[in-house]
Amino acid sequence: MIPLKYNYRNLRVRWISTLMTVLGTGMIVWSSCILFGLVDGLQHSLNVSGDPLDLIVLRKGSTNETNGGFEGRKADDIANLSGIARDDHGMALVAKELLNIPIAERNDGSRTNVILRGVVPASRKLRPKFIIVSGRDFEPGKDECIVSRSLSKRFKNTTLGSVLKVGEKESYRVVGLFTAGGSASESEVWVDLKDIERNLNREGFVSSVQLRAATPTDLERIKKTIDGDTQFKLAAQRETEYFSTQSRSSLLFKGAGTMIAVLLTIGAMFAAANTMYAAVSARTREIGTMRAIGFSRFDILISFLGESVLLCTLGGILGLFATVPLSALTYSTSVNFTEAAISFRFGPLVMFVALLMTLAMGVFGGLFPALRAVRLNVITALREV
Amino acid sequence: MRFLTYILRNARRNPIRSILTIASTAISLFLMMILVSFFTINDDVSRDSRAYNRVITLSSTGFSGVVPIARVNEITTMDGVVAATPFSWYGGKYNNETMPFAQFGVNPESFFKIYDEFTIPQAQLKAWQDDKAGAVIGRKLAEDRGLKLNDPLPLEGDLYPYPLKLTIRGIYDGPSNRDRRMCLFNWLYLDDGLKLSTAQRSGNAGAVVIKCKSGDLMPSICKKIDSQYLNSDTPTRTQTEEAFSKIFMEMLGDLKGMMRNIGLAVCFSLVLVAGNAMAMALRERTTEVAVLKAIGFNKQLILFLILAEAMIVAGIGGLMGTIGTKFLFDVFDLSKFTAGFLPLFFIPWSTALAGLAVSLLIGFASGFVPAVRAAQISVVNGLRKVV
Repeated sequence: MIPLKYNYRNLRVRWISTLMTVLGTGMIVWSSCILFGLVDGLQHSLNVSGDPLDLIVLRKGSTNETNGGFEGRKADDIANLSGIARDDHGMALVAKELLNIPIAERNDGSRTNVILRGVVPASRKLRPKFIIVSGRDFEPGKDECIVSRSLSKRFKNTTLGSVLKVGEKESYRVVGLFTAGGSASESEVWVDLKDIERNLNREGFVSSVQLRAATPTDLERIKKTIDGDTQFKLAAQRETEYFSTQSRSSLLFKGAGTMIAVLLTIGAMFAAANTMYAAVSARTREIGTMRAIGFSRFDILISFLGESVLLCTLGGILGLFATVPLSALTYSTSVNFTEAAISFRFGPLVMFVALLMTLAMGVFGGLFPALRAVRLNVITALREV
Repeated sequence: MRFLTYILRNARRNPIRSILTIASTAISLFLMMILVSFFTINDDVSRDSRAYNRVITLSSTGFSGVVPIARVNEITTMDGVVAATPFSWYGGKYNNETMPFAQFGVNPESFFKIYDEFTIPQAQLKAWQDDKAGAVIGRKLAEDRGLKLNDPLPLEGDLYPYPLKLTIRGIYDGPSNRDRRMCLFNWLYLDDGLKLSTAQRSGNAGAVVIKCKSGDLMPSICKKIDSQYLNSDTPTRTQTEEAFSKIFMEMLGDLKGMMRNIGLAVCFSLVLVAGNAMAMALRERTTEVAVLKAIGFNKQLILFLILAEAMIVAGIGGLMGTIGTKFLFDVFDLSKFTAGFLPLFFIPWSTALAGLAVSLLIGFASGFVPAVRAAQISVVNGLRKVV
């Protein structure tokens, strides 16, 4: 086998050409990695949102809690079912919640729908790691609200102390900022359930009920009771399942990301091929010499393919590591027509994409130039100037 | 022009290299056209909607708010208003697909007077108006799904606890940049059903679409509607169709900036890729450039010859990637494969031409360094060099 050092030295001798190819492919790997890092981030926030013991109750036939709700007395009946978990103070972990989805403005003036959620004390226990990070929790009946910390950075009138106006008639004073373990709640504004009921004129109406079962068997039983009750016309879904159906919308992001990555990879393949063709034609005499001193056609093929993979790997590594400083990157966009913050996540998906792209570029970009090198006739090659 | 043959021959000398550069440029621009058009189509469509003199009334809180149905008639009687219709998003499932296409509850008597860019045969319009459970669908939707007149179109409610058992009574058509994938049904059919199932959710027009007599009346009509309802239980927010349709693009937020950054990264890497190819080409031609200089070609001319070659190669790639892509999507309808996400897709001419200009710019940037270096070669050293 021809030593790898030969390829490495060759890349170093033609350093300008190498550098340009590495930068070019690096750029392409980089932009694809960003896309998939965001897809991964969206997936992750939906994954951490559901607890295995949690159920979400919606009206039968409805797929999303933003799609209307049901009568509050049904919610009260659900709260009285046995087998619901309690916290240390004996509070039952069941929460009826009511959503309003007003249009709000981001700092740059663009408009989008934001979830304004009317909550009860148990709602906080039903989110992973809910904490108030600055200010205080709201007091019921005073038209106060708390805002997720990440949302507060992106939206007008959502900083501590300001007044968030909703439509012409409602307004809430922001008294605290919260985080919730990176879950979907981190794209929401929370107010007291009673306040929002009154302001929306929708007393006795809820969007969803969320609850935590004491044990997995209780969960099965509660689910069966709710689904089976013909009076209720409700459906209880495991939260983990609910959030994974919500993530179907991330399929679109995935689809677009894949299309972009594939097309860019093809583009980069051509670039790598160009560089490798030049490498082969500049070294025709060398190839002839190597064949003459006994290296087989196969050795030559592997050597040039290896050089191409090495070249693209350098680009891939550059592109991959250039995404590391982006871990703090958060994009504001909408999923299912409501605001969602998507944070970049450097994880296995990103690394896998970078690896796959790099290999595809290296192998397919190097294949035809390597085959040309293989097919060279030893005598004519040696005669080349 | 005198040197065109020379430039073209040079570009063809190493056909594989030129083809690879062209292919790389074409593919990258193909991608950029799709990404950019995703945003420019909306601008194109909303700009075009100015001509139709329509304004849209929503609840002041937004899409989830309530606009009482009585507002439609009140607004219709206002000065300067031609007609108005409720416009209520149903969001139902079809064959268990969530959000397969847009469905709206409207007033069949006034809808086609307001959306007068759409055409529908008179007999079909009559049949729709006579059947309360009738529906009208766009031609593209009918083609995608193989739906014909009098086919049933059952929709399962997601937003509303009331299923619609619709029958297709008409198929509308319209200009290519309007949404021809909507399903329209009689608002009353839904509302009567809601009165029986959940009375508290009936009586909501969702939104009101209003046709004004002329464009300059639109601002005053918007203001008049909103001020009339300001102190009611359900204040409104009225805006032109153009402003309304922009909300959906604004929702995407930072996505637009991200796409622009990806576009820039792609352009930059194209400059490197094409520049590398050009540099390799010139390294092989060092002696030749020296000969040209020796027989009297000046620096500017050599600079021009090389830049022109780089721009022609990039330009051919650009032409295929932009104008070619435009024609491709005129024939091949991408929106069919987006599961209802994009009701229409095409590449606007302005976007295609801008892309072509970008490709020429890429060619210029990629040829610049190699060209300057070639122009500065000293004749003696160049002639002496063995490549």
